[in-house]
Amino acid sequence: MEENEVSEALKNKFGKKILEIKVSKKGEKVAEDMLIPEIMEIKVSKRRVFVTVPIEIYKEVIRYLVEELGFNHVQAMTGLDTGKFIEVMPHLGRGITITVRTRIEKDRPVLSTITDLVPGASFHEREIHDLLGVVFEGHPNLTRVIVPEGWPENVYPLRKEYHPEQPKPIREVF
Amino acid sequence: MQEEELQKTEKKSAYELFFDIPVGPQHPALKEPAFFKFRVEGERVVGVDVDVSYNHRGIERALEDRNYIQNIYLIERICGICNVAHTLCYAQAVEQLHGKEIPSRANYIRLMVEELARIHSHTLWLGVAAHEIGFDTLFMYVWRDREVVMDLIEMLTGNRVTTAINTIGGVRRDVSDEAKDKVKKGMNILEERLKYYRKVALNDPTVNARCSGVGILKPKDAIRLCAVGPTLRASGVKNDVRRDDPYTLHDEVPFNVITFDTMDVFARVLVRIDETLESVNMVRYCLDHMPNGDVRIKLPLSPPVGEAISRVEAPRGELIHYARSNGTKNPERYKVRTPTFENLPSVSEMLTSKSDYEVNIADIPITLASIDPCFSCTARMEFRDVSKGKTWIWSLKELKAHCSKSRR
Repeated sequence: MEENEVSEALKNKFGKKILEIKVSKKGEKVAEDMLIPEIMEIKVSKRRVFVTVPIEIYKEVIRYLVEELGFNHVQAMTGLDTGKFIEVMPHLGRGITITVRTRIEKDRPVLSTITDLVPGASFHEREIHDLLGVVFEGHPNLTRVIVPEGWPENVYPLRKEYHPEQPKPIREVF
Repeated sequence: MQEEELQKTEKKSAYELFFDIPVGPQHPALKEPAFFKFRVEGERVVGVDVDVSYNHRGIERALEDRNYIQNIYLIERICGICNVAHTLCYAQAVEQLHGKEIPSRANYIRLMVEELARIHSHTLWLGVAAHEIGFDTLFMYVWRDREVVMDLIEMLTGNRVTTAINTIGGVRRDVSDEAKDKVKKGMNILEERLKYYRKVALNDPTVNARCSGVGILKPKDAIRLCAVGPTLRASGVKNDVRRDDPYTLHDEVPFNVITFDTMDVFARVLVRIDETLESVNMVRYCLDHMPNGDVRIKLPLSPPVGEAISRVEAPRGELIHYARSNGTKNPERYKVRTPTFENLPSVSEMLTSKSDYEVNIADIPITLASIDPCFSCTARMEFRDVSKGKTWIWSLKELKAHCSKSRR
């Protein structure tokens, strides 16, 4: 499938519910309130599609892409702290890459899991849970995988407010 | 006979007969720390739990505090063996942010060094696999011949392992005509030796006995669990980033995507040997068709606001980097997803007995090694004070102070 076919299929299926679709060269504004206006202007490389969706239809969009369009491979899931919100972006597909971007509130970081659709997403969700503290509802085994044993609770190293303290050496030697 | 039946019924009813064996972090098969908890029923492995948290270095966070030039050297140190793939992926991501193309000669050199690194990685793996199955003669021979490609990489880039050849906007060194001749000679030696190893793998009873029918991963499961790279291709799925999402010059340079359909460790051995032979041909093509011209363009330090996804077929599988820039000299977020991380669910699947085949404890080392795992790929060096719930990172000076203290 080409980039344009994917974006057309998504637009036909979900219409105005999708906030923004970007394919190579130029972005396209679908709904009025875009999430990230400053990203809008830049051009996108070949074989890349960026879709921004609200949290309510996030799982429906993934289900449509995986089950009907056949993008059943999760390349990665990026989590990103924008200050007030946390962005979660699964990158789907083996040939062209479709990035489904959604934004959740930092005070209540809860999102439904996609592990039931693609079992390979399990480790990616656990990684985001470790590093950013997003809780994936319905994940079968949301335990720690990246941060070491004994890591304190509620400390998330990729959040912007995390500033590691500089330690003092045990003894000055020079 | 009666006893056996009794045992069977007991096994079904008595949960206590399952036994958990901890393997790691000091590992029999791997030189890197990873912890596996195997649930066994006699000699059968019926479940596995993976913990890879021993090597978390916080590189993703550290990348946000450095500028784009400094990050090349940090990215390179994510993984020693795949360093070419990592720097290539990083350079491509930043070039995508800039929206610039690099000169054609630079692309040829990038592709050539990438394929040389693939030869080096696959031959290294072949040696490790031979060692795991107790075939140390093959291990010694393969690593002796690997020196040919290591010397070529040193000649071309200046370093044996951490090559530092790729940079933002091109490559750092040009290739002379004299060097081209030496690479050609080296490729002839390697091709002859690799064909011999292929013959050994196909005919030797040791390899056959230890690898055939071990670590089965069915194509349906491989796709479901998002396997990548040689692990996926050994299950008969024709997928390669170089073909499906061509970068550098992979849409021009001819090559075959190697697949095997026996789905076991044996297939993974043969896929890697045949891929190495393909790489030899690709290096030859690059040497013959390399155009003249510049090898680097200069780009400003700060790319414009934007985001980019860069994909590379590393020796171990698909590698993906995601970059988001905010217009300053430091990236807003940089995400690295390494192939081993993607293959972890698949290796758990390979190590669990099914109704139609069994996994024995003795098969664990070679099955683990068959995905070519690399656990140092994900992230931070730091010190924790558990009682206070605080974490910190040492500066270089403090680390030196600590090291010299412990040396005394």
